[in-house]
Amino acid sequence: MSQRAIDAMLPYFRDKFFNPSAPYQPAVEIRRDYQLAKSRIAQAIGARGDEIIITAGATESINLALNSFDGHIVTTAIEHHAVLSVAKARNHTLVPVDSRGRVSVEAVAAAITDETTIVSVGLANSEIGTIQPLREIAEIVGRERARRQQVSSKTPIFFHTDASQGAGQLDLSVARLGVDMMTVNASKVYGPKQVGLLWTAPPVKLRPVIVGGGQELGLRSGTENVAGVMGFEAALTEAVSHRKSTVENLTLLRNKLERLLIDAFPDAILSGHRRHRLASHLHISFAGLDAERLVFALETRGVYVATGSACAANKGTRSHVLTAIGLSDAEADGSLRLSLSGDLDEPAIDRAAEIIIDEVRREYERLETL
Amino acid sequence: MALNVAKIHVGMSGGVDSSLTAALLKEQGHEVVGVYMKNWTRDLPGMRCPWADDLADAKRVAVRLGIDFKVYDFENEYRQKVVDYMIDEYRRGRTPNPDIMCNQEVKFKLFLEAALADGAEIIATGHYARTENGRLLMAVDDKKDQTYFLYRVTSDALRQTVFPIGEFDKQTVRQMAAERGLITADKKDSQGICFVGQIGMREFLSEYVDTKPGPIIDKLTNQPIGTHDGAIFYTIGQRHGLDLGGGLPYYVVGKNMDRNEVYVTTNLNDDQLWRPLVELADVHWIKGVAPIDGTYRVRARHRGALLPARVVNSDGTVRLEFEQPERAIAAGQSVVIYDGDECLGGGIVLA
Repeated sequence: MSQRAIDAMLPYFRDKFFNPSAPYQPAVEIRRDYQLAKSRIAQAIGARGDEIIITAGATESINLALNSFDGHIVTTAIEHHAVLSVAKARNHTLVPVDSRGRVSVEAVAAAITDETTIVSVGLANSEIGTIQPLREIAEIVGRERARRQQVSSKTPIFFHTDASQGAGQLDLSVARLGVDMMTVNASKVYGPKQVGLLWTAPPVKLRPVIVGGGQELGLRSGTENVAGVMGFEAALTEAVSHRKSTVENLTLLRNKLERLLIDAFPDAILSGHRRHRLASHLHISFAGLDAERLVFALETRGVYVATGSACAANKGTRSHVLTAIGLSDAEADGSLRLSLSGDLDEPAIDRAAEIIIDEVRREYERLETL
Repeated sequence: MALNVAKIHVGMSGGVDSSLTAALLKEQGHEVVGVYMKNWTRDLPGMRCPWADDLADAKRVAVRLGIDFKVYDFENEYRQKVVDYMIDEYRRGRTPNPDIMCNQEVKFKLFLEAALADGAEIIATGHYARTENGRLLMAVDDKKDQTYFLYRVTSDALRQTVFPIGEFDKQTVRQMAAERGLITADKKDSQGICFVGQIGMREFLSEYVDTKPGPIIDKLTNQPIGTHDGAIFYTIGQRHGLDLGGGLPYYVVGKNMDRNEVYVTTNLNDDQLWRPLVELADVHWIKGVAPIDGTYRVRARHRGALLPARVVNSDGTVRLEFEQPERAIAAGQSVVIYDGDECLGGGIVLA
C-alpha cells in the first residue's frame, strides 16, 4: 500500500475514531474530513463529491450499478466476474473480442436492442491489459438514447465502465470517457482493500442494494468507512498526479522485460493489444508448459506472478479472457501474467527476467527428459 | 531401503508425510511422479474444503523436488465406495470407518492400478507403516502407526507399495522435511477423514440423512428420560451430548434404528459396554488365508491398545475372545489382528 495512504488512514483508527453521524463536535469534524476526501476523490475523476457513492470495492459498485436497472445488458466476453455474474442472471448479450482483446464498436452497436438498459465495458482488462474504445462506445449509446427520445421510448440506456484496472495509468475523466457510470477500486491504486466508488451522472437513478441508516444519500447504508476513504483519497490523488511519469517508467520497464523474454524464447506468445495496452501489463504464453509450476518455482525466488490457468489454486478453471481471445488450452495453461508495480527499476527488471528465463528453461529441459 | 525399481508414483496429499516420502525416494535416485488424488472437493456448512490449497501445496513440493506432478480424479468412485458406504452403515445404526474403506478401494486399488497403467513400477504413500515381501508391519513410531487403517489392503498391493516414512517417528519426519526446505514441514496434520475431521460426523451426516428426534430410554427402568436428535448420531459407549442434566453420567448402550430409540444407562458395568466376545464378519486376511486359531494381539481402534485375544475361525467369520472384556465396541467398527509387529488382517464387528 502507498505510504501516503497508510499515513492518511492511521489517525482515523485512533483519535478520530468517532462515527461521522454522531452529533458532538469531534464527530462533526470527521464528517467534514470525510466529505472533503470524497470531493477530492471525485475531482480526480472530474466529478463532484455528491455524484459518487463510496462502496466496499469494485464488486459492490458493479452490483449496485448494474442491478439498478431491469432489462437487457450488453457487455463483453472478457469482463470481470462481477459484471459477468450479474449479466448472466439476466437477459444479456456478451460481445466477443478480437485476438488482441479489443471489442468492436460496431459489434456493441449491433448488440443493443430496444430493451437494453445497460452497456458495461471495462476500461482495461486485468489479465492482458487491453484498453477498450470507451469514447466511441459512449457515442453509440448516446445515439441510441437520442433515437429513443425521438420515438418517445421510456426505456433508459446508460453506459457503465469498471475503470479499476486503468486507474493510475489512464485518464479517468468521466466527461472525456463519455460514460454515465464508473466504478473505481482503491486497492488498484495502492489504496486499502474493501473501498471503492461508483460515480453516476445526474440522470442515473440508482436502486440501493444495501439499505438501512441512509448514508451515502440513501444509496449505500452503513457507517462510513472513514479511514478507508482517507486512504483511497491519498492513494488516488497520488496516482493521478504521478500518472504521466508512472506510465513512462512502466512502459520502459515492461518493454524491456518483454524484449528480454522474447529474445530468450522467440516462440512465446504475447497477448494483449500492442498499442492500446496498460503499461504495467505483460502477458506471455509458453505453450506446453504448466504455468502453475512456474508460479511455484518463481515464488521461491521472490518473483510473484499470476497465471491464466490456476489448475490447482483456482479449481481447475481456465481464464475466460484467454478463451475469448482464442488461446488454445495448451497456450492458456502455459500463460504468465506479469504485472509491474510502480516502484520497480531497471536492475530489478533485469533480475526478474533472468530468474524467469532460468525457470522456464528448467521446465522445458525437465519435459524433454520425460 | 534399496529398491530395485526405477519409476515410483507417490500419492501426495499436501501434508508433510507424503512430501517427505517423495523427497526421500527422489534422493535415492528413483524417477518419482507426484500424484494428488482428488477424492472430495465439496464445501460443507461452516467448513471450506481445503482440497485446492492441499493440491497447491503438494504441487509446490513437487516443483521444489523437480519431479513430475499429476492429478488423478477419483471423486465419483470415492463418493460411491467410501462416502455412500459410510452413510449406509450409519443408517443401519452401525459405526463404519471410512479411512479403511478409502485405503481398500481408492489408494491401494484405483490409485495403484492407475499408477501402474501410467508407467509406475510401484507406488508409495506417506503412511506410518512398513511393508516386507507383501507383509504389512507396524511403523517404527508406534504412536503414529497407521496399520489399523491398512488391514484390508491385499498382499499383492503391498508387494507393489513402499512406506518410507514408516521407518521414522513424526518429529524426525518434520525435521527431515524442514532440512530439505519443504514448505509442508510445519503444516498441521489432517485429522482422520478430511471432510469429517473438522466439522464432526454429526454435521456431516446431517447434510445427507434426514433425522428426527426420538426418545432416550433408560435401560434399567425402561422409561424415556429425554429426547435425542436422531439415533444415527449415537455410538455405543458415548457419554457426551445426551443433555440429560445432572446426576450420574449416562452412557449409550444400544439403539433401535427402526424405532429411532437410544438406550442409555448409568451402570458402568453394563454388558454392552464391556464385551468379552465379538463376532467379526467381512474378514480380510492380508496373505489371503486365515491364521491358525490361537491368541493374538488385537486393536479395536486406531492407536488403541494392543490387547490379547483368542482368535477362533469359523466358516468365514471370526470369533474374538478377549482376555479382559473390551470397552465400547460398536457394530460396523473394525478389529485388527497382529502377530508381533505384523498386521495379519481383521474384520468388521457384526453386531
